[in-house]
Amino acid sequence: MSASRAVVALVLATGCQVLNTPVYFNGPAPLETGGTDDMGNPRPDATGSVVVKYRQPSQHEQQQIDADRQRLGFNVPWLRRDRLHSEILYSVKNLDTATGVFSVSVDGANEFTKYDEGAVAAAFKAQNQDPLALPLMRGGPEMLAPGATTQGTLREDDVVEASLDLYAIGSWMAPFAAVLINRSDVNPVGLEMVPKTAIVPAMFEFDVTFSADKHMTCEFLVRVRDDDDILYQDGDSLFSPQPATYAPMVPPAQP
Amino acid sequence: MPRPPFRLAVLAAAAAAAACSLLSAARVCAQVTDVPNPVIFPDPAKFARGLYTEGEIGALIFFGAAGDRIGPGVALGARVGYDVARWLALQAHAIGSTHETKFAGMPQAGQIIQLYQATAELKLTIRIVQTSIFLEGGGGLARLSTNLLETVGDSGQRNGLTAGGGAGIDYHSLSRHFSVGVRGGYFWLRDIKGSAQVTATAYLRYTF
Repeated sequence: MSASRAVVALVLATGCQVLNTPVYFNGPAPLETGGTDDMGNPRPDATGSVVVKYRQPSQHEQQQIDADRQRLGFNVPWLRRDRLHSEILYSVKNLDTATGVFSVSVDGANEFTKYDEGAVAAAFKAQNQDPLALPLMRGGPEMLAPGATTQGTLREDDVVEASLDLYAIGSWMAPFAAVLINRSDVNPVGLEMVPKTAIVPAMFEFDVTFSADKHMTCEFLVRVRDDDDILYQDGDSLFSPQPATYAPMVPPAQP
Repeated sequence: MPRPPFRLAVLAAAAAAAACSLLSAARVCAQVTDVPNPVIFPDPAKFARGLYTEGEIGALIFFGAAGDRIGPGVALGARVGYDVARWLALQAHAIGSTHETKFAGMPQAGQIIQLYQATAELKLTIRIVQTSIFLEGGGGLARLSTNLLETVGDSGQRNGLTAGGGAGIDYHSLSRHFSVGVRGGYFWLRDIKGSAQVTATAYLRYTF
């Protein structure tokens, strides 16, 4: 490639990146938790999900996926973490008359594996072990004054980390507690099995669980930057992966 | 009394000669009776006319429903036009502006959003020597960079129609090609619920 062509390509690439604009997906109705309801019962943690829709790969794109799969020798995703950049924006309002503490936990799925900390806890309970509740991502815990509103973001780098953890847990038998507790760029413990050449799948489902010790509401949005224009649009053929729910292998409790 | 040295005498004579020379020159100047007029009156007929381009920078402010949700932002734009007559021009205008969302207490707050507009415009000009006043108006397309307003129901789509107009003042330099000016415009945004925008920019124009 000549120098002038390289410069033009660089300028175009830079321009396209600058103009690459995000798309926002609303969460369902505001999540409400904490305090007691009209019947006097305590409100449970509230969960809402956003499933981001993508189109099917074209024939050429599918050929590329197949070629990558053959070259690497393991499953290659259509939704790639390096081409899809997501983050979760939330705002929390304390409706109570006292200061409270809240946290926002996020589970979710890539096209191969779905992670649900409730299912993980159930697997522990089934073996009479104390449940270990670890979300893929967490915001808070944070204190909030009565009547106050706060905003938070689980940034793109948080989602990048969660995507790697989910891939390692679901596809490479990584010990889930080790990878979820540790930040991979600080301590990559548990990721030894993940090949360096692996193409990490992006998360397409985000399950947000909101918990608080006082009456609060939470609204959230998922923001996606799509490098390759693969978000679903009317007329596209919908990509509908069926990820398997992750269940850890829990040994029976010792008597 | 000691006698002055010969070198000092020569210097004194030279200084006296120079002073006489300056005085005589001043006398020559004083003899010019027709003082040149320092003010130059350019002939507008000599200003370039025809195809022109403009680059502009300024601010864009939303009004209406969007005004409560999107803050003011920096705007950058460009025009390409053609002077059909001294008083009439047709022009194509593209402008982009970047804004931060407000949405108090909502997760949509603090996001960056851009508005891009492309319009075709008609421009009427009255020129008074170097200065001209103009009115312009037209319509075209507006595009939001994200679907953020859709998430709160303020907009049903990212692309929409826009129409409006404005006015400005242009000052032509003594160069045949360059002029500068300021303008303001009000544009209705059909597809952003109940909203409009006001733009104020300064521009540099080059006429070929």
